Amino acid sequence: MIEFKNASVTYRGGVRALRNINLTIHDGEFIVIVGLSGAGKSTLLRAVNGLVPVTEGSVVVDGKEVAGASPADLREIRSHVGLIFQTFNLVLRTSVLNNVLMGRLSKVPLWRSTLGMWPEEDREIAMQSLERVGIVEKAYVRASNLSGGQQQRVGIARALAQEPKVLLADEPVASLDPVTSHIVMRDLQRINRELGITTFINLHFLDLARAYGKRMVGLRAGELVYDGDISDVSDETFREIYGRAITPDDIMEIKG
Amino acid sequence: MSEGVRPARPKKSIVPYFVAAAVLAFTVFAARQVGFSLSQIANNFDTARDFIGRFFPPDWGWAKENVPGPMIETIQIAILASIIGCTFALPVAFWASKLTANNRWVYYIDKWFLNVIRTIPDIFWAMLFVTGVGLGAFAGVLALIMFSFSIMGKLLSETIDSADPGPLEAARSTGAGHTQAVQAAVLPQVLPNYVAYALYIFELDIRASTVLGLVGAGGIGRVLEAQRSFFRFDRVMAVVVVIFVIVFLIEQVSVFVRRRLV
Repeated sequence: MIEFKNASVTYRGGVRALRNINLTIHDGEFIVIVGLSGAGKSTLLRAVNGLVPVTEGSVVVDGKEVAGASPADLREIRSHVGLIFQTFNLVLRTSVLNNVLMGRLSKVPLWRSTLGMWPEEDREIAMQSLERVGIVEKAYVRASNLSGGQQQRVGIARALAQEPKVLLADEPVASLDPVTSHIVMRDLQRINRELGITTFINLHFLDLARAYGKRMVGLRAGELVYDGDISDVSDETFREIYGRAITPDDIMEIKG
Repeated sequence: MSEGVRPARPKKSIVPYFVAAAVLAFTVFAARQVGFSLSQIANNFDTARDFIGRFFPPDWGWAKENVPGPMIETIQIAILASIIGCTFALPVAFWASKLTANNRWVYYIDKWFLNVIRTIPDIFWAMLFVTGVGLGAFAGVLALIMFSFSIMGKLLSETIDSADPGPLEAARSTGAGHTQAVQAAVLPQVLPNYVAYALYIFELDIRASTVLGLVGAGGIGRVLEAQRSFFRFDRVMAVVVVIFVIVFLIEQVSVFVRRRLV
C-alpha cells in the first residue's frame, strides 16, 4: 500500500510542485495519473521512491516512511519499487542482459557487479524478466541496437528484475509511436494482472488512460483535483483537470 | 505556404575586427618585449648553416652500439608510468565530476588536487624526484606517473561530466548504492574513452620520457644530453632520428586502435 498524507513538494527556488496530496493506493491497483505537463505528475511518482523527497507531510510505502528516511532505508524501499522512464535510460554501450541485471544491483556486493560475476540465480531472474516482456532473444545484443519499443521493454524488464511490489512508469510511451505504445501499455497491464504488482503510471494521452486505466488521478498545478474510477470519467472531467478544452494533441487515436 | 513576417537580416557584428586588431597589436608588443628579431636570424645565417652542417652525416656506427639500450628503457618508463598513472586516475576522475562525486566536498577537494598536480610541469616533477629518489629511471617513472595521472584525471572527469545522467538515475532507483550505481551506469559509458585516453597518454609519455633524461631521470634523454655536451652533433642527430621513428610508429598504432574504440 502507498499512502500520501498531506504531502507537499517545494523545489529549491520556491516552485511548489505538489500541494497537500492525500492519496491511498492499494496493493495490486492499476492507477493512471493525468494532467498537463508541469502539473506535478513526475514529481508525484518520484516521491514514492524518494528520488524527489517530500518537503512536508508523509509518504508511506508498505508501512515504511519515505520522508526523512536514512540513505540505507531509502535504498531498501527503492529495491522494492521499479521505475520505468520516458527516455528508457538504458546504458546503450552495454548488453541488454547487463541493463536488466542493474535491477539486481541492490542484492549483490559491489565486487560481483563490478567484475560481472553475477550469481546464477540473479542471471536467471534477469532472463525470466526478459521472457516476460518477450525479448529474451536480444539478451546479448548491445542496447543501442534495439528500437525504441524494444528499449522500453528492456526498461520494464530491468524494473521487473527487482521483483518489485510497486511499478512506477513515468510517461512510458511518450517517446514511442502509437502502435508500439499500445504494445507497451498491454505489457504493463498484463504484468499488473499476472503478478499483482501495484502499477502507477503517468500518461499524457487521454484515450490511452481510458483504454488501460482502472482508477484515475488528475493533477492540476500540483493539486489533486480528481480521484475516481476511469469509467466515470467524461470529457468534462478532463476539461476540469486540464483547465482548458481537449485538443487533438491530447489524444493518440490509433488502436493497437 | 506558412504566413508570418520575414525578419530583417541581422547587422554584422564589428567585434571580430576589434579582436583581430587586438591580437595583432599584442603580438607586435610581445615580440618587441622579448627581442624577437628577423634581422638577427638573417645576419647569423652563415653561422647557422655551418652549425647545421655539423649534424651530418649522423653517426650510425656509434648509434648501433649505444642507442637501443636507453631507448628500450625510455619505452619501459613510458609503459609503467602510463599504466600506473591511468589506474590511479580512474577513481579520482569519478570524484572530480559533479555527476558522480560522492558529495560536494569530495568534488571540490579532488578538483583542486588535480589542478595543483597539473600545474607542475613534467620536467619539474622529474627534477623533484631526481632529488628525492636519486638519478635514474625510477625518478622518471615517478615523474611520468604524476604527468599521466593529471592528464587522465582531467580528460576523463570532463568526459564523465557529459555522460548521460539517465541511466544513473535508473540505477539509483533500483536501490543500488552510490558506487555500484556509478559503476553500472556511468563506467560503461566512458570506458572506451578511458582506453583511448590511456593510449594517447602513452604516446605523450614516450615523447616526454625522451626529454626527462636531460635532468637525469633515465632513458634516451640521458644519451642525448651527454652527446650534446660533447658537441657530438652527428651522434645527437642519430639519436633524434631513432626517437622520431619510434614515436611515429607508436603514434600510428595508437591512432589506429583509438579510431576503432570511440
